[in-house]
Amino acid sequence: MGWEYSDKTKQLFMDAVQGKPGTHLGEIENPDGIGEHGSIACGDAMRFTFRVKRHPSDPTQDIITEAKYLTFGCTSAIASSEALCAIIEQGNYTPLTALKIKNSDIVEYLNGLPEQKIHCSVMGAEALESAVFNWAQRRGVDLKKLGIDMHDQETEEGRIVCKCFSVTEPYLKRKIIELNLRTIPQITNAIKAGGGCSSCHHVPGGLQDILDQVWSGHAAGNTGPVQLPVLPAEPASPEFSPYQFAKKVERVIDEYIRPSLRGDGGDVEILDIKGTLIYCSLKGACSGCMGASQTLKMLVERALRDQVDERIRVIEV
Amino acid sequence: MRIIYADNNATTQVAPEVYEAMIPYFTEYYFNPSSMYEPARQTGQALAEARQTIADCLGRVDPKEILFTGCATESNNTAIFGTARANPDRRHIITTQVEHPAVLEVCRELERSGYKVTYLPVDREGKLNSRDFIRALTPDTLLVSIMHANNETGVIFPIEKLSRITKQTDPEIIFHTDATQTAGKLPLDLTFGLPYVDMLSFSGHKLHAPKGIGVLYVRRGTRCRPYLLGGHQEDGRRAGTENVPYIIGIAKALELATRNREQDEAYVGRLRDRLENALCERIASVQVNGKGAPRLPNTLNISFHYIEGEGMLFQLSSYGICASSGSACTSGSLEPSHVLRAMKVPFTAVHGSVRFSLSRFNTEKDIDTIIEVFPGIVASLRKLSPYWDNERNAPRPDALDMSAHVDS
Repeated sequence: MGWEYSDKTKQLFMDAVQGKPGTHLGEIENPDGIGEHGSIACGDAMRFTFRVKRHPSDPTQDIITEAKYLTFGCTSAIASSEALCAIIEQGNYTPLTALKIKNSDIVEYLNGLPEQKIHCSVMGAEALESAVFNWAQRRGVDLKKLGIDMHDQETEEGRIVCKCFSVTEPYLKRKIIELNLRTIPQITNAIKAGGGCSSCHHVPGGLQDILDQVWSGHAAGNTGPVQLPVLPAEPASPEFSPYQFAKKVERVIDEYIRPSLRGDGGDVEILDIKGTLIYCSLKGACSGCMGASQTLKMLVERALRDQVDERIRVIEV
Repeated sequence: MRIIYADNNATTQVAPEVYEAMIPYFTEYYFNPSSMYEPARQTGQALAEARQTIADCLGRVDPKEILFTGCATESNNTAIFGTARANPDRRHIITTQVEHPAVLEVCRELERSGYKVTYLPVDREGKLNSRDFIRALTPDTLLVSIMHANNETGVIFPIEKLSRITKQTDPEIIFHTDATQTAGKLPLDLTFGLPYVDMLSFSGHKLHAPKGIGVLYVRRGTRCRPYLLGGHQEDGRRAGTENVPYIIGIAKALELATRNREQDEAYVGRLRDRLENALCERIASVQVNGKGAPRLPNTLNISFHYIEGEGMLFQLSSYGICASSGSACTSGSLEPSHVLRAMKVPFTAVHGSVRFSLSRFNTEKDIDTIIEVFPGIVASLRKLSPYWDNERNAPRPDALDMSAHVDS
C-alpha cells in the first residue's frame, strides 16, 4: 500500500514533525477544555486541548482562541490533528459551534483522505467533542438543556459488538447514521469496528445485523454460530492404560537408564508419550554429545522394548 | 536522491547477472519448449539445465522433484490443497500462528470445509515449543506446514528437527516448509541436511531474480494432486507453458546466492549488527523483536515504544530509505502484525515496529545514513506522542493507565 495522501496531508505532517511555527503540537497548560479519543492498543490516540476567551457573563459565548494536540498515530492521524486545530483557530468558533465541525470538514481541509484512513479524521472530531463536553462541565454549561446529545449512556451500558476495538452497539448505531455508513467496509474505514478479527461481521447481532436494523428496521437474523470441531483423543497405548504405560516407562528409565547416564554427567527427559512413541531429549553432558541419537536408540529404546513393550520407538527431540 | 533499499524481505532488485542471463530467452530463444522443431529443442534444453541447477543447489536432488510455479504463494497453495486432496482420509493440518498469509489463509479455507487445523503458538522470542508440536501430531494429521524463517522477524524455526520428529512419528504425514525467506540465505540441502522435508516452497524475487517465478520441491513419492490443470507440463503436476526466461533467471539467482552464501551472510550480518547496536544505543525504549532466537542475518525487526510505525516509514522515505512496519496503518487491515502479536510484543511497541531487511547490495554508507537520520525521526514523533515525556526522554508515568483506556 503506497502513500496516497494529498500534498496538503503530507505538508501538514512534515510541518508538524519538524515543529514549524504555526503548527499545533503540544498540550495547553490549564486548558479550558480537554478531550481524548482512541487508545494505544487500537493504533491511534489523540489528546486535544483548547483555550477560550471567556465571555464575562455568558459562557456559551466563549470563543476558542487556541487549540493543541498530542497524537499517537500514522501520518494521516497527525495531519488530521493539525487540520482540526487549524480549522478551529481560523473560524472564531465558540465551543458550541465547534461541535458542528465534522470529520468531513477535516477531510475537506486535507483535500481528501484515502478511504481506509477516514477513521483518522473521525478521531479528530471525537476528541473535539469530548473536549467540548469537558469545557461545558468546567464552565457549568448544561448541554442537555441546550438540546445536545451527550451519548453518556453509550460506553457505559452498550453491548460491545467489535471486541477488537471495543465498539459498543449504541455508538455504532449513532455513527452509522451520522456518517451515513452503508456497508461493513465503510464502518471499518470510519470507526475501525470490524477491522480486526472480523468475527463480528456476520454473527447474530453483528455489524451486518446492525446495518440492516438501522437502515431497514429488519430484526436480526438468527443463524447459529458455527461449531468448530474438537481434536480427537490421542490413540490409546496397548496392553496398559496410558497412565500405567507412562508409569512403567518412567520406572524403567529411572532404574536402568538414568544411573548410567548420570555417571557421565547427563540425563534424559521424557517430553511426551503417544501410543508406543516415546519423545525424549538428552540433557546435561549428553545433550551436546555427537552420539546422542545413538545413545537414545541403543540404550533407552532397547531397555524400554525389553522391559515394557517391544513396539516402543524412541524419538529424539 | 539515492534510494537506500532496506526492504529485501518484501522483494529484491534483480541482480545484473540474472538479468543478462534472461535476455536471450526473450529475444532469441523465445520458443515454447514443448514444440517439436529444432530451435524449441534448444529452449527445452536450457529449461532442463536450469532445473538441474536448482536441483544441484538444493543438495543434488533429482531434477524431477523440482516444479516451477508462478510464485511462492502458488507453491504453498499447491502444497496444502494438493496434499489435502491426495490424502482424503486424513483431515488435520499443523501450522503456526506466525506463517505467511499464503499458508494461513489456505489453512483457514480448508477449515471452512471441515478440516481441523492446529496453529502452534510461539513464545516471546518467536520460538516454537517442541512439546506443543509433539502434542499436536495426531493419527489424523495429514500435513505439517511450518515456515523455515519468518519474514517479519527473521526468526528461524528448527525445520530439521521438526521434520524428523514428524516422519519418525508417522511417515505418512507430509512435511512442507515455506523457505521463501531462506532460499539463498541458509543452506537448503534436502539430501543430507533436511532429509525429512517432503515439500519446500520459495520464489525468485526474494533472491534477486524477478517476480513471477516460484519453485516447489516435491520429494519423490509424496502424494500431491496438481493445483493447476490443463497441460502436460512439469510431468502433469503443474499445467501452463513454462516461463522460460524467468526459470533461467531463478536458476541463475539461486546459483549465485548458493555460491556466495557464506561470504554474503557474513557481510550482511555485519551490517545488520552494526545498525541494530547503533539504534539500540542511541534511542531510548527500544526492543529488538526475536533477539533471543536464531535469526536470519539480514533482518532487523525493532520496536520503538509509544510511537507509530507508519509515521516513521513516511519520514524515512523522505530520505529515500525504504523499510516496512508491522503497525496497523501499514498492514492493510486495521490490526497490527499477527506475528508480533503472537510473540506477545506489548501493544505499546507493536505499532511502533520497523523492519529493516538488507541484502548484499546494501553498503556501509547505507547503514551510516539510516543511523544518522533515524534517532531524529523517532524524537520528532515522540514529541507528538501523548504517552511520551520529552523532558525525561522516557514514557510518561501515566502512559500505561492512559493507554489502557479505550474510548470508542
